[in-house]
Amino acid sequence: MQKNTTPLFLRKIRVALIVVGLVFLLIALIGIVQPALAAPVSSGTAMSPQSTACLTCHNKTNFNRTLPSGEILSLTIDADHFDSSVHRNIDCTDCHTGITSFPHPKLIAQNLSDVSAQFSTSCQTCHADQYDKTTDSVHQAAHDAGNTSTPLCTDCHNPHTQTQITDDTGSLLAAARTEVPEKCAKCHSGIYDQYQTSVHGSALLGEGNVDVPTCINCHGVHNIQDPTTNNFRLNSPELCSNCHTDPQIMDKYGISTNVLSSYVADFHGTTVIFDQQTPEEAVNKPVCYDCHGVHDIQSVDDPEYGLEMKQNLLTTCQKCHPGASANFPDAWMNHYIPSPEHYPIVYYVQLFYKFFIPGVLGPMVIYVLSDIVRRLIERRKGAKHA
Amino acid sequence: MSKPTNKKLPPARKKKAPSTYERFHWAQRISHVFLLTSFSLLGITGLPQKYPLAAWAQGMVRFFGGIETTRLIHHISATVLMLLSIYHILDIGYKIFVRRVRLTMLPGIKDAIDAWQSLTYNLGLRKTRPQMGRYTFEEKMEYWALVWGTVIMGLTGFMMWNPIAATRLLPGEIIPAAKAAHGGEALLAVAAIVVWHMYSVHIKKFNKSMFTGKLTEAEMLHEHPLELADIKAGIADRPVDPKTLRKRQIVYWPIAGVLAAAMLVGVYGFVGAERTATVPVRENEGPVYLPQTPTPTPSAGTNLAWDGAVGPLFQSTCGVCHGASSPSGLSFETYADAMRGGNDGQVILPFDSAGSPLIILQASGTHFVSLTADQFALVQAWIDAGAPEK
Repeated sequence: MQKNTTPLFLRKIRVALIVVGLVFLLIALIGIVQPALAAPVSSGTAMSPQSTACLTCHNKTNFNRTLPSGEILSLTIDADHFDSSVHRNIDCTDCHTGITSFPHPKLIAQNLSDVSAQFSTSCQTCHADQYDKTTDSVHQAAHDAGNTSTPLCTDCHNPHTQTQITDDTGSLLAAARTEVPEKCAKCHSGIYDQYQTSVHGSALLGEGNVDVPTCINCHGVHNIQDPTTNNFRLNSPELCSNCHTDPQIMDKYGISTNVLSSYVADFHGTTVIFDQQTPEEAVNKPVCYDCHGVHDIQSVDDPEYGLEMKQNLLTTCQKCHPGASANFPDAWMNHYIPSPEHYPIVYYVQLFYKFFIPGVLGPMVIYVLSDIVRRLIERRKGAKHA
Repeated sequence: MSKPTNKKLPPARKKKAPSTYERFHWAQRISHVFLLTSFSLLGITGLPQKYPLAAWAQGMVRFFGGIETTRLIHHISATVLMLLSIYHILDIGYKIFVRRVRLTMLPGIKDAIDAWQSLTYNLGLRKTRPQMGRYTFEEKMEYWALVWGTVIMGLTGFMMWNPIAATRLLPGEIIPAAKAAHGGEALLAVAAIVVWHMYSVHIKKFNKSMFTGKLTEAEMLHEHPLELADIKAGIADRPVDPKTLRKRQIVYWPIAGVLAAAMLVGVYGFVGAERTATVPVRENEGPVYLPQTPTPTPSAGTNLAWDGAVGPLFQSTCGVCHGASSPSGLSFETYADAMRGGNDGQVILPFDSAGSPLIILQASGTHFVSLTADQFALVQAWIDAGAPEK
């Protein structure tokens, strides 16, 4: 066996160098890795490391780009807002799929619409139901006809800051309800102004009342239909009735739940119910909102616009009945069921027939039955004819 | 019943007993066809309208072709019934005033007694049926119910067809009251026809006399024995001599003519005069798309100075990367930083935009972030103006 020829002192130096090298390696590794571990946002975040990395630049305020159209595209994403949003666990690149490296591929967009459009199909990946519904909507139809102002997903839902909208049962949270009209107002500000002053809008926006309808309660949310169609108009009484025949809601405000049945019992409502058989045809019979207004609904006892005032009701009637005299509005029983206090003539006529009909038919039936029995008996006894 | 007349009667004609007796003149039979047709149409187009939520009602209206067509049929049938009523009034008037027939349809105490006796006979409490004349109590009941019903339906129908005219004179509440009466009377009329009329002339025994016009001797004996006796005694008819007839006609026709004209004008007004509803002009709610004008970010205008438009432009567009810790050493956080430049020297040469590396790089389009054309022009102009701070 050959003896190990390296002298002992050199062997020791070799070991010492290896140890020192390992230590330096360790220090170097720590030095490299440590900055990456130091997140610019608070610890305890729900965001992925990937999102955190993007936010090192995108968290900065006033981070803007000006598009060729002159519009300002803000690229600032507030990290705290994102961390509280429903998408906080999702990587940026899950939606921004084209951005895989730095520097980023150039953004080619003429205006803000273009930018939205480029990402509109990202939502479809997880929110296929809602996305499919939007393809059915009046917004989509307008877009297909060339309208460039129609909203896409991100026009109503900012994906970076969107918080939970619904509770466990799927119904809208109270805070989310108040936001709905404000979102629609971005494009439909005229209607929003009317809604704000209406009895529904002032309760929602002023008091946060959850019993009143927001835009989406009547118009739907993702598959919004054209509300100017005959079909919408003919089915609108049932829409209003969803709340206005529910005593759980209406009793709180002292509003009658007889409104649908009294409307259907009257000539206008009867006709509309039958006209629902041909939903595409135009009708000139009023539905709820023809008299009560649609976005500007006031309480019927409003001192200026309320329909309880005879003059206001007459003006409303005259929209379709130009020759109507001052007596005419009393032909409408104001959603009352006739009683001795309200519309007594109608009440007593109805009462009269309640007795008159059985009073006449009863004796008739008795006589006819007796006649049948007698003639059958005679027949059996051998009579040749009745 | 009829009072014995003092007039000299013509000699009773001796002839063989006829096998049939005329019950209804052809004019009455045609009237009845019009009546049953219009009444049936009125009933089947009217009753569904009383129960709009019922499936059977929806089905019937759909069968007629929709509610507007259903209403049209109802209105046309009502007009036919009104014209028929006018004819009937004039016909009855002629019979009463010109021919002076016996008023056999008038109800009296005997009819009430007949009704009671018929019932007690049916119940086995009497041995024989009561004997009745030309029109039995059942037929009188039918006729007068028809008269009452037609009057009610006509009046209430008029109010509903012409609510504006009706409410000029009457309080508005009369319209829903008319609707209630119209519907109630409709139910009663249809039910009475089914129970009373259909039993009497179809089920009890199919009575063809309203179509053939004739009754046999046997039928007369069973159902109208008192009339048969009058006929055989020769007192049923009251023939009028031609001269008297002429005299009465000359008085009657002009009056009838005037009445007819007035009633026809009434029917015309009923049907055509009022245009109750127009197609309303829908109120214009304003444009649907009315975007909110976003609060404009305070614009520094085109103030060609760092403290004006240029500084904020650099800070927002370039400052994200070119900040204090920028690897290139070039920062745009302050005016001094911008003018100092970076590791490769100054990037902004005052008065010399063409020579400024910043401009050259931007013009090449290769830099990570490009200024827009407007922004580029602004920076160029600023540099050429000496890149002033204020």
